[in-house]
Amino acid sequence: MNEITRLRRARPDCSELSVDREALFAAIVSQPADRSARVAPSGRRGRRRKLVLAVALALLVVLTAGTALAVTGVIGWHDDTRIISDPVEWQKLYRDAQSKLTMPPGTKWPVRTLQANTVTSPLQPGGEAVAISQVAWECYWADAIKQGDGQAGRQAQAALTDIARHHILVAPEGTSENTAPNGHVDGPVAIYADDGGFEYFTKMIADAAAGHPATLIQSCRANGPVG
Amino acid sequence: MTTHRTPPASAEARFRHIFCHLDAIARYAARRGSRDPEGIAAETMTIAWRKLSAVPADDPRPWLFMTARHLLMAERRRGGRQAPLDPEVLEGVAARPVESGDPEVTAALMELSPNDREALVLIAWDDLTPAQAAASLGIRPVAFRVRLLRARRRFGRALEARASAAERARLLEMESA
Repeated sequence: MNEITRLRRARPDCSELSVDREALFAAIVSQPADRSARVAPSGRRGRRRKLVLAVALALLVVLTAGTALAVTGVIGWHDDTRIISDPVEWQKLYRDAQSKLTMPPGTKWPVRTLQANTVTSPLQPGGEAVAISQVAWECYWADAIKQGDGQAGRQAQAALTDIARHHILVAPEGTSENTAPNGHVDGPVAIYADDGGFEYFTKMIADAAAGHPATLIQSCRANGPVG
Repeated sequence: MTTHRTPPASAEARFRHIFCHLDAIARYAARRGSRDPEGIAAETMTIAWRKLSAVPADDPRPWLFMTARHLLMAERRRGGRQAPLDPEVLEGVAARPVESGDPEVTAALMELSPNDREALVLIAWDDLTPAQAAASLGIRPVAFRVRLLRARRRFGRALEARASAAERARLLEMESA
């Protein structure tokens, strides 16, 4: 019996709820709800809201055009069935990726290779390099914040912003694990599932830049150190 | 395979879909030693109703668990038992399980760090998938999988150590008898 099975069997019994579910439901829905979920735009006010939304969306597109690579659905996707199995080829792709990414001052690229008797996709070495660079900059920024080094913090913020804009793609929901963007992608990319991970990353950058580095520090703890 | 659900027509209908997790949230709070698990569940649902558009329609459980976790932390702070400041402590503060049905398991769990313990019980007791558990903790799925793997190893070692100690004690008892 493995440890999870044993843990499941030891699950503590919890007493049944004593509340009247229907009464609780009725009490909750009698309160004011989330207006955005409840009120449908209508009439003149609705049209004005749509106009404001359209303008905001257009502004967002203008501001992010050419930089936000990670826009789901902007580029096409396909199942990539190509594989690499040669560690030499893998390391060449990994080195190529390094030349297009940055690492924080004083940090070296860790030695990585393709494990024996395994295969992977040609995009994987670049994706791994992106993840390594990303975590290294996150930890560099976290250290900079602790030491009060504003310049190092701004350098890390710029590096992470560059990664978000140019080295992360979000695969559309429902695509396979072998999914790859159509056509040529300039530079190494990490492909994220459409599960909110990219939004989490960009929010982390924004929060840290705004003086709220808890998520950044947590991410460094969870994903670092590089090595 | 990806499944798609048609969103319910009204806010109430949508909330009904979320409200069916009331029991799961109460059990989540109870297993972490809440003094008022039903109150935590009811408050979580009230917040979900007030912030309905923020609750993912397809899978509300991670959002609900995260909200319940924050309420548990607030309950602990009100109780004056702990005033966590560090994010890592905050992450693990809700991971104090009540007695499990197996004393060895309880003891092994208590040897783990709060983060390890929480990773294990989210999967084994709360029946979340690793992706859901990661979302409920606000961390990346890959980070959660690594944490879970390490937690399983540590938990397995703690169980083994307890089993070995019990065996040694049994042998010593036999020798002395």
